[in-house]
Amino acid sequence: MKKLLTGNSAVSHGVMLSRVEVISAYPITPQTTIVEELSEICADGRMNAKFIRVESEHSAMACVAAASATGARVFTATSSHGLAYMHEMLHWASGTRLPVVMVNANRAIGSPWNIWCEQGDSLAQRDTGWLQLYCQSAQEALDTVIQAYRIAEEILLPVMVLVDGFFLSHTAEPVDVPDQNRVDRFLPPFRPRYKLTPEDPHTFNIMADPSLFISFRHEAQKAMESSKKVVGRVDREYKSFFGRGYGLFEKFRCNDAEVILLTMGTAASTAREVIDAYRQQGKKVGLCRLRMFRPFPVEELVKFLSGKKKVAVLDRDNSLGGGGIVAQELKAALYRAARKPKVFEFIAGLGGQDITPETIQGIIEITLNNSNPAGVPIWVGVQK
Amino acid sequence: MKKKKQIKKKIFFPPMSFSYEGTQATKTGTWRYLTPTYIDKLAPCNEACPAGEDIEASMVLASQEDYLGAWEKITQENPLPRVCGRVCFHPCEGACNRKEFDEATSINALERFLGDHAFQAGRRFAPKEEKKNEKAAIIGSGPAGLSCAYHLALMGYGVTLFEAQPKLGGILRYGIPSYRLPKNVLDQEIDNILSLGVKAKTSTRVGIEVKWEELKKFDAVFVAAGAWNSLPLNIPGEDAPGVMSGLEFLRKVNSGQTVDLGKRVAIIGGGNTAMDAARSALRLGAKPLIIYRRTKEEMPAWEEEVAETEEENIELIFLSSPVKILTENGKVRGIECLKNLLGAPGKDGRREPKPITGSNFSLPVDSIISAIGEVPDFSFLPGELRKSRGSLPVNETGATALPGVFAGGDIVAQPRTVSYAIGSGKRAAMAIDATLRGRDVAEALRAARLGEKGSLSMARYKKGGADGLAREAVKFSQLNAAYFKRQPRQPKEKLPFSQRNTGFSEVNLGLSRASAIYEAKRCFNCGVCNLCHNCFIYCPDLAISARPDKLGYNINYDYCKGCCICVEECPRGAISVEVRK
Repeated sequence: MKKLLTGNSAVSHGVMLSRVEVISAYPITPQTTIVEELSEICADGRMNAKFIRVESEHSAMACVAAASATGARVFTATSSHGLAYMHEMLHWASGTRLPVVMVNANRAIGSPWNIWCEQGDSLAQRDTGWLQLYCQSAQEALDTVIQAYRIAEEILLPVMVLVDGFFLSHTAEPVDVPDQNRVDRFLPPFRPRYKLTPEDPHTFNIMADPSLFISFRHEAQKAMESSKKVVGRVDREYKSFFGRGYGLFEKFRCNDAEVILLTMGTAASTAREVIDAYRQQGKKVGLCRLRMFRPFPVEELVKFLSGKKKVAVLDRDNSLGGGGIVAQELKAALYRAARKPKVFEFIAGLGGQDITPETIQGIIEITLNNSNPAGVPIWVGVQK
Repeated sequence: MKKKKQIKKKIFFPPMSFSYEGTQATKTGTWRYLTPTYIDKLAPCNEACPAGEDIEASMVLASQEDYLGAWEKITQENPLPRVCGRVCFHPCEGACNRKEFDEATSINALERFLGDHAFQAGRRFAPKEEKKNEKAAIIGSGPAGLSCAYHLALMGYGVTLFEAQPKLGGILRYGIPSYRLPKNVLDQEIDNILSLGVKAKTSTRVGIEVKWEELKKFDAVFVAAGAWNSLPLNIPGEDAPGVMSGLEFLRKVNSGQTVDLGKRVAIIGGGNTAMDAARSALRLGAKPLIIYRRTKEEMPAWEEEVAETEEENIELIFLSSPVKILTENGKVRGIECLKNLLGAPGKDGRREPKPITGSNFSLPVDSIISAIGEVPDFSFLPGELRKSRGSLPVNETGATALPGVFAGGDIVAQPRTVSYAIGSGKRAAMAIDATLRGRDVAEALRAARLGEKGSLSMARYKKGGADGLAREAVKFSQLNAAYFKRQPRQPKEKLPFSQRNTGFSEVNLGLSRASAIYEAKRCFNCGVCNLCHNCFIYCPDLAISARPDKLGYNINYDYCKGCCICVEECPRGAISVEVRK
């Protein structure tokens, strides 16, 4: 059924369709309307879930992790400072191999105060053992939430679904809301192999001595690596059910492209228009929208980008003293490539600054007109 | 030297770390140096009740709608819940911890509800089957005498009440007007006590109808004759017809005799007798006027009584002392007063009135009721006990100078209230029993003490005090008020004023059943576990479990690591901490 939904409302619909059993969250802009709507859905009985109010995001994550350990399907949502506050618990959720699904509405982290879109909040959590899937549309947000449970429950790792704050979280578009029966067939109830239950008492997370700790980490790493296949398979299966799939990254007019613009999130929609305009001028330019950042699809990207002349990476984030985080990851991945493209790095759209067609045009112009990158990332939109 | 690598068998490696056994394998109790234990404390209301009622326990039962169980708890200590629920000045509510949170629990009204409910449900006292040989004589059948008679009868003693008036009840019948305590309620409570086998000789004055020597056939005597002699005004004209004492007036009204007050009556005094006299006069159709020498601040009458007096639009003249009763043809026609100023505080802390010379003024009145205080009459007592004035001396067990003779109520030095009288009657019953059973009386009474305010518990007396309960009352600061929500106190229903000046119908109408449950549930249950489950919920080691008998919780010290979260989260301070090294 088609409905006009904001990105956040699409997420709430996805959670409802996934028959989540425990929700715990603390409100923070621009995520708030997700759990606000879910609390209403729980209250009016459309969803048979326990909604637990907590005093902080740290507790919210502890709460859903604990509920997940008992075998419940769980959900939480946060943004920016809330995600930062969860940091410690993110490690515990992944270390305990709990299939928690969380939506983070991307927002800049202060200081100075800012409530608008930036992907630095979630990218700063890249080492916590969570899968990260970045969405471009409200439809994709709904679909990805449902997919995330299938992925998480198969590989036993938590999944973070990312939506750009305001650009996606608060804008409405027509969304096809799948039928509950079909979702139920796609996503059967969670049957954990290990769970906390009084019938069979165990302690989770007992201390692992130095001889064992590294092995647990290695197990998690193996699960992360294997998850790439699972993400791809689940996405294909989803497509066969509902007619929509997104892949690990999306390619747009890339077949004979020599220059690729690579970015994540909603900026990709804008970029399509610009790419079309360049194609009309006969320029061999294409777009790659990276959907899965963790695990980073190294082999897949290397295979795709080998032989391309240039890649312009548009990062809506910045690691101070480092550079764009996506660009860093990409450069490290391309190190193994035999025929490496040149990587042009751009930082734009921080703290909610609009990434307009002109912004992207400027980035592509610089990439087309220079045979070599500047050596340092180029910042777009800085006050002169 | 290279060693050949051993081929290891591939073992199953779980995705995350977990124990093969449950947490029970780890006995965290060995970490403990603080040990929480359940120790019920004393609720401040219980400590403050002069009659020694276990208010807290009856509140728990009432909140569970076990009204008869709650009534049993009360009547274990006090046989007159319907009387006290109407006339007690409720020091329990003054001590209630809830008043530091919002408003005190309506204990007094709840006591009335429980008493009335049990009566309507047909509940009566059960006579003691095993009788003892010893007999006790009780002089006076007011609250002290009735209380003593009840407790002695329940312990199996033969009891005879000697009452000078034609009917039993003393001050309850002849002092307290029926708009505060209806006579049928009093009769029913007294009948209940008499049903225990208590004998009563009415219209029998000790010293006249029966000689003191005749009481020697009794093994013990309890003197509870009250304080019925009114203090004289000591002003000219006091002997004129139309001048009477407050208690005399009230006794006549309460006996159904007609009293001619004329149109306007002046009542001298600011105590409860004065308020009762004025309000009774109003109901007889007169226009009462209260004259008090100090201000409202210093009035000794209970606040509620003063408030109801004011509700009934009774005129009060403050800072005025009568100096002369004006008569005409031998009859009262007015009263002359002096205006006062308040001087320095006197012995009792109240500011002393100082007359202003030349400030005389007179008021036309048709009659005068003097209610400036009462003293006991000692004339019937044997020489060793006879005194000229003051109160009858007793020691801390209520014993007089004569062996086997005890005293209580208004005749001894204690606050002149119904509940204190009931408490002293109970004290005498305990002292008489301990004496007759050859026990150390002082020790037996010490074991029955509830707290620091002198209240005695019959339950504790019977157990010999060895119930392990702490003596200290719980303070508000020892509660965890975060678990209580603010709830306004239910107001008592009252008769509208328009119906008050025409008759002696009861003014206070008590609480409805719904309000009574509400009030019982408002009670914090200070210091006593009421199975709220907080300790069980909070214990991070699952070391706390509900007892199978549902009377509390057990702590498994194999696992309690002494974090004492239970102590902190107990809303009512029922868990204590012991430090063990």
